[in-house]
Amino acid sequence: MAIFPPLTIAREALLAHQRSLQVTGHNIANVDTPGYSRQRAVLRAVPPAGSDIGSGVRMVGLDRIVDRFIEQRRLGSASDFGAAATTRDLLARLEGYFPVNEGGVGTALQEFFAAANTLATNPESQAVRADLLAAGESLALQVRGAADAISTLQREVDQRLGQEVQDTNAVLQRIASLNREVVAANAAGASTSDLRDARQEALRELAGTIEINVVEQGDGSVSVFAGVGTALVLGTTPAVLAVRPDGALGLDGTPLSRVGLGGGTGSFIQLAGTLGGTLGALLTLRDQTLVDNGADLDLFATTLRDAVNAVQTDAAGRDLDGLVGAAFFGGTGAGDLTVALADARGIAAAQSANPGDNANALALVAIQHQALPALAGQTLEDYFGSFHASIGAQARSANDQAVIHHEVDALLEAQRDGVSGVSLEEEFTDLIRVQRAFQAAAQLISVANTMLDDLLGVVR
Amino acid sequence: MILGRVTQNALVRTLTASTGRLQGELVRAQAVVSSQKRIQTASDDPIGTALVNALRGESSRLQAVLENVGFGQAVLGTQDGALAEAGLILTRAREIAQQFSNDTVGIEARQAAAEEVAELERAMILLANTSISGRHVFGGLATGAAPFTAFDDPGFDPATAYTGPADPFTVLSAPGQEFRLTTPGDQIFTPALEALDDLRQTLAAGDSPDGTITALVAAGDRIAEERASVGGRWNRLNARDAEIRDGLVSVQTRRGSVEDADLARAISELTQIQYALQVTLTAGRALLGASVLDFLGP
Repeated sequence: MAIFPPLTIAREALLAHQRSLQVTGHNIANVDTPGYSRQRAVLRAVPPAGSDIGSGVRMVGLDRIVDRFIEQRRLGSASDFGAAATTRDLLARLEGYFPVNEGGVGTALQEFFAAANTLATNPESQAVRADLLAAGESLALQVRGAADAISTLQREVDQRLGQEVQDTNAVLQRIASLNREVVAANAAGASTSDLRDARQEALRELAGTIEINVVEQGDGSVSVFAGVGTALVLGTTPAVLAVRPDGALGLDGTPLSRVGLGGGTGSFIQLAGTLGGTLGALLTLRDQTLVDNGADLDLFATTLRDAVNAVQTDAAGRDLDGLVGAAFFGGTGAGDLTVALADARGIAAAQSANPGDNANALALVAIQHQALPALAGQTLEDYFGSFHASIGAQARSANDQAVIHHEVDALLEAQRDGVSGVSLEEEFTDLIRVQRAFQAAAQLISVANTMLDDLLGVVR
Repeated sequence: MILGRVTQNALVRTLTASTGRLQGELVRAQAVVSSQKRIQTASDDPIGTALVNALRGESSRLQAVLENVGFGQAVLGTQDGALAEAGLILTRAREIAQQFSNDTVGIEARQAAAEEVAELERAMILLANTSISGRHVFGGLATGAAPFTAFDDPGFDPATAYTGPADPFTVLSAPGQEFRLTTPGDQIFTPALEALDDLRQTLAAGDSPDGTITALVAAGDRIAEERASVGGRWNRLNARDAEIRDGLVSVQTRRGSVEDADLARAISELTQIQYALQVTLTAGRALLGASVLDFLGP
């Protein structure tokens, strides 16, 4: 039992409020720290010891104010937004290659058929023939440019996958390291609040890259699994993601990367299923969206080539020298579409020995109005128009998705802030409250001291 | 959005997000006003983009057809002039035939008249070889050698004088619709040349050309028939020209309604966004400026 209980109570109160002040100060200091969760000192009245009056106050712990459900939803939201933002950014770049107002494949196609029409009115003119050849070259150039843009974007996405994997490995290591520190702090009975905040931030960063499930273990560490069930972090052990440049061939003809788990022994297990997040979006864009768009452009190019060549090489067709025409367009697809005809005299505008005959040139012009079976009954122009609109629709949809997920993410962020964020108004008010409590405890010491002096005076 | 606690950071984030969104809208609105185009990228209006592509194609096709029509009008106009002259030649030939059919006309006079008919025959061949920019309007619009051999060529025979193409020349007057511009010259001029040649030879022999009149009349009818056909086709092209010009205006109007910005509306939107941005910034300054610190003494 203390010699003079009020002094002991005052001393404990001073210590408790001093530590409360420290917690408030910590909150104020971290007002701008990303992911920081406000903390509260837990004070408890000390029960009576040997009498029926309590023994004052003691700080018994520290609360980290978080809502686990909001935190969990934020991880899902980060994945959704990461995927949507990546898709939006890359599709916005893709649609930039297909101008709406003037220029591009659509305009070049119209100019090609306009030049063919001029040939049909003036089949013997060398200048008109040269103009058609130039219009064909311009069209082929535009088609190649569009194909090259898609192919380059696919290669860039593939390279970005490698960078994302490298960044992801750094985050996985950070989470494993924070797990180690949390376990150690737990074992030592120290506060883990700040470590948990840092880990949560790392988890959120990881969730933006790949969809994850997080399971907390009894020792305070977390195990992290990819959406497909692959362990990314088990306790203090992080997995190592790797890319291998031995996948399917890209649009440029060189192999694309595979993403998987790489072991120290050189083993490699490819990640399966939908990954979500930025990685998932990159893989979807690289392996589906851009491939599909590339295939659509290839179909346009090969159909154009075949339709024009069929007229040009028709057995009845004749060039200026009375010979059956050679192929106008060459190449195997959009990426290598070229004008194969070197000499404008070789354009087969006639269907007789008369060089002024324009029957074959009229057949060439007629292609632009033909419903082509290869294009499911569409004309070349309609097909390209649909293709262009489809790219616009994909970009618009991606943008809408990104806006929606950004709104959801912002709402969850605001909700988290409402629970865990530091409010300076609250902290300053607390500061005054704690200051007053501290002053009162100091006053108690002063009063107790006076009483002791009085008591000692009696003795003297 | 219902929130219990609102922190300073939440206010800052909300303000940043709002100003960011408004600034984005401002950039877009400004681009619309400066370009006066509602559709900047395909994603602005995918269906509108497809429509703009289709209308631009339609415009390009109509423009091409308009060029064909203009070319056709020039060709048919040239043919009409030549056929009018050819008709006059045959009228003169018929007059000569009638004049020299009289038994009172002597052999010398008929032989002298044969010289005039020879000139008429030369003129008829020149008309049959009429060209526009080097292209023979009665020879399938081919360039190069004239479709009819010259009168003074050795072995000239009106029946085989035509060496041009046997097929007519056509252009597109509408998508998929071919329009004939020429008739092979032999179908027009060979009867006339044969009739003139017969008249010339009859007169040169000092005989009465009475028997040649029927052929001359028939040849004149053929020329008149072709001239009527040319006139009819010219009229059709003329009407088509007006239709296409109307069509072009219609297509351009439709295209404008899809892709062009309503300038008054665009400027009004730009002003609204500018105003919203100013209000947001002012409100943000007021909200962020207020702090409990202002009420705490030193």
